[in-house]
Amino acid sequence: MDCLKRLEYRGYDSAGIAVIDKKLKVFKEVGGISNLKEKTPSIKGSIGIGHTRWATHGGVTQENAHPHTCCKKKISLIHNGIIENFKSLKENLEKKGHKFTSQTDTEVIAHLIEDEYKDNFEDAVIKALNKIKGSYAIVAVNSEEPDKIIGARKESPLVIGVGDNENFIASDIPALLKYTNRVIFLDDGELCVVCKNSVKVTNLDKKTQNKSIEIIDWDFKDAEKSGFPHFMLKEIFDQPDSIHQAFRGRISEIEESISLPEKVEKTLSEDYDSIYIIACGTSFYAGMAGKYLIEQITGIPVFVELSSEYRYFGNKKESSLVIAITQSGETADTLAALKEAKNSGCSTLVVTNVIGSTATRLSDSYILTQSGPEIGVAATKTFTSQIIILFLLALKISSLKCKKGSDEIYDSILQLKEIPRVVRYILDHSNQILEIANIIKDSSSVFFIGRGVNYPLSLEGALKLKEISYIHAEGFAAGELKHGPFALLTKKTPVVAIATKDHTYEKIIANIGEIKARGPQVIAIAEDDDTEIEKHADFILRFPSDSSLLSCIPITVILQLLAYYIADLRNCPIDKPRNLAKSVTVE
Amino acid sequence: MKAVILAAGEGKRLRPFTETMPKVMLPVSNKPVLEYVFDAVKKSGIDDIIVVVGYKKEVIMEHFKDYEGVNISYVFQEKQLGTAHALLQTKKLIKEDFIVISGDNIIDQATILKLINDKSDYSILIKEHPQPSKYGVVTIDKENLTEIVEKPREEFGKFISTGIYKLPSSIFKVLESLTSQGIYDLSSVIQSIVEKGKTVHTIVADLWMDIVYPWDLIKINDAMIKGISGSVNGVIEKGVIMKGPVFVGKDTTIYSGCYIVGPVVIGESCEIGPNACIFPSTTIGNNSVIHPFSEIRNSLLMNDVHIDSSSKIDYSVIGRGSNIGGNFSNITGKATIEIEKEYKKLEKIGAMIGEDCNIGSHVVVEPGVIVGRRCKIEPIIKISKNISSKSKVM
Repeated sequence: MDCLKRLEYRGYDSAGIAVIDKKLKVFKEVGGISNLKEKTPSIKGSIGIGHTRWATHGGVTQENAHPHTCCKKKISLIHNGIIENFKSLKENLEKKGHKFTSQTDTEVIAHLIEDEYKDNFEDAVIKALNKIKGSYAIVAVNSEEPDKIIGARKESPLVIGVGDNENFIASDIPALLKYTNRVIFLDDGELCVVCKNSVKVTNLDKKTQNKSIEIIDWDFKDAEKSGFPHFMLKEIFDQPDSIHQAFRGRISEIEESISLPEKVEKTLSEDYDSIYIIACGTSFYAGMAGKYLIEQITGIPVFVELSSEYRYFGNKKESSLVIAITQSGETADTLAALKEAKNSGCSTLVVTNVIGSTATRLSDSYILTQSGPEIGVAATKTFTSQIIILFLLALKISSLKCKKGSDEIYDSILQLKEIPRVVRYILDHSNQILEIANIIKDSSSVFFIGRGVNYPLSLEGALKLKEISYIHAEGFAAGELKHGPFALLTKKTPVVAIATKDHTYEKIIANIGEIKARGPQVIAIAEDDDTEIEKHADFILRFPSDSSLLSCIPITVILQLLAYYIADLRNCPIDKPRNLAKSVTVE
Repeated sequence: MKAVILAAGEGKRLRPFTETMPKVMLPVSNKPVLEYVFDAVKKSGIDDIIVVVGYKKEVIMEHFKDYEGVNISYVFQEKQLGTAHALLQTKKLIKEDFIVISGDNIIDQATILKLINDKSDYSILIKEHPQPSKYGVVTIDKENLTEIVEKPREEFGKFISTGIYKLPSSIFKVLESLTSQGIYDLSSVIQSIVEKGKTVHTIVADLWMDIVYPWDLIKINDAMIKGISGSVNGVIEKGVIMKGPVFVGKDTTIYSGCYIVGPVVIGESCEIGPNACIFPSTTIGNNSVIHPFSEIRNSLLMNDVHIDSSSKIDYSVIGRGSNIGGNFSNITGKATIEIEKEYKKLEKIGAMIGEDCNIGSHVVVEPGVIVGRRCKIEPIIKISKNISSKSKVM
């Protein structure tokens, strides 16, 4: 139960467990883990499985919650992923007399295993999996063979936790950390048989696979809130440290140099004429911000594409470097796009937070954001760390390709080191952000605008607000507002305008004027010595000036706090917004 | 036995250093004061610690989330009314005899053991002190407490209460009745117990120090750093000379030509030198950079500090994240300092600079000056009086 609670961020519309205590016992409920915990009697048994669901096939009901069982109630199974051919499999099984109790694709697998089962559970699972098309990570138990749990994966993550006299299987590391930090990552097409004292990994042809045990150096207590009301707020306040972690050991002020992992430097020094950044959601916006940084620092053209689009439609030319950004390293869309890029001969580099994740093994090289676990569903510290990493990559590219002298690199290093201090300044002034949140909290719609690197920040600001406060929010490039969205402006739609003193400052001031003329209140995010802005905006949130290209970091922190306070004032379940899950491992 | 550690207070007299963290979290040779208390309590065999938190509780809870070997529970004191009120908050968690310690006290495990093993129902740790009048002064008869007077006007004894006690769980009834009458400090509660005829046994502490003023950080840093053992976990370039115990954290580089005389503690991910000199009783926090030709002695530099070249820092405290320009120097000498309307005379003191300051090059700071947090000082300026937080000096 405790483990499930730690994984609740991955989905939480219903939950269930199955335990073998001579017979198979299954308990499941709609709602969060605490609901399940309340309704389940105390249970015995030394082997069991549990699941927390984020619905894809079939509505949110008790029947559709996992685990699912076969007709004889002996085999029980949980599943993450999507079975593409489940309709035809279901029809065949129904013809053979199997009775289904739910609408899920998962239940089909349970019956399929039952259908194949003679006397060997492992063989039955393999036979069943060979009939399945689609993506899956499954974990199954059988009361006929009550000493083992079988797990298998294809395109959905699964990790084995290796303990003393006990072993575990889970879809993500935080569930295991209380019990062990030694894990084995299962690869696609592999199956594991886990008993109390043994772990066996084979492929679907029963050939034994050699797997190495990786040590995870996160502490499970990292995943606790340390007195903060929400993980999201804790993670926002973590940022001075997490940003330090992102560049820690990678820059030297005295030597005026940047050193990244050897493989990353090799990838970066190859020949390429363009860079493609592929990512989803918040990582995509980090990528867009990265585009402005990399182009400005290196002069190499950068294209940012959504993984789900790039995969099918992207221009995968060999002369491009592909940088994939995924916090979990397991985002299904990004993994698929990465495979396509690699098959087309592009150099590939992954920016991720999880060592040993699938993405790190698919790419030529990878660089870790070193942010520690992020539990709040709304990404915060990993977003800022991703931008820091992209900044480091840009500096490294320019020094490798001799586009910048060490003096410029030195200035950039000093700017980088200034960032934790600037972020502390923002956190210190969070009361002012709370005041603004009070003004916006009852709006039904909020717009965010910015130019240049502030444009992706507008998108991220809007994404944060809508995902946790449920207020409709949109981000726009400031110049685009007049080409359509103007029609939506009323007195009741506040606009958040990011105004940095770059060469577009005059333009954004003009944009604010245009907006004001139509009635909305304007909240400007501006530098602390900007006196001009006071004449134009209704409210101002300030950040310390002269932080250059990296001003995107303090601005992001302001936007995160704004979204957080608004959601908190509206009493929203901030760490677990409705319908969302942390790492989306389905396409 | 359980230990209650009182850690809810802010420590106003330690400003600016306590503006972003409670005083128990101030670092002394790269470890918060409270962690020394935790260590001593743990080593004395106690495995349950109850911490009363209040001001900036997140900083404490975040730091100790990885602390191993004891069960830690937190109790929140919303308003910091006083020590008796703080202790009362732990009522539900305590069923037997327990000890209570203030989180800003440095104490050794042997003294805690003496207290735990004492047979009396009520026991108090006391200590001889050169300036007893700023504490609770105790009078004793045959090792038993006869009176405790907080901050007496006239001097009448040399022993003071350390505020560390062993108490029975029945104390909570007394606490409830006295706090309801508006008595919030533990000394008064103990005095009322003595008046009721109960025996409170006194034990003299071996090591006990508390931290009240910013310069206490230098004193306690000096005391604690003497106990370190040298160990090098970073990279030391050829041509570095190290004498005495020097601790160097991982991922730190000491560049050629540095001269370091221990006891010195240098944190993780620092860059020192080339040609920097670091002399005894100096602590340098994590992620700090000391540029060439700078000299630092008898000082406490917190995390993320940047010292540019040819600076001299002596008997000083530099707060986290401060950026000190080149050719900075502080003058060390006598000073009279005003803190919270009290005047304190010191024989030898340097500068005390708060968190996240930006100090330009060629700045000179006179003895005993306290510079607030987030101050910006332009180059070539002499600072001779205290600067309040968030000021700009041009």
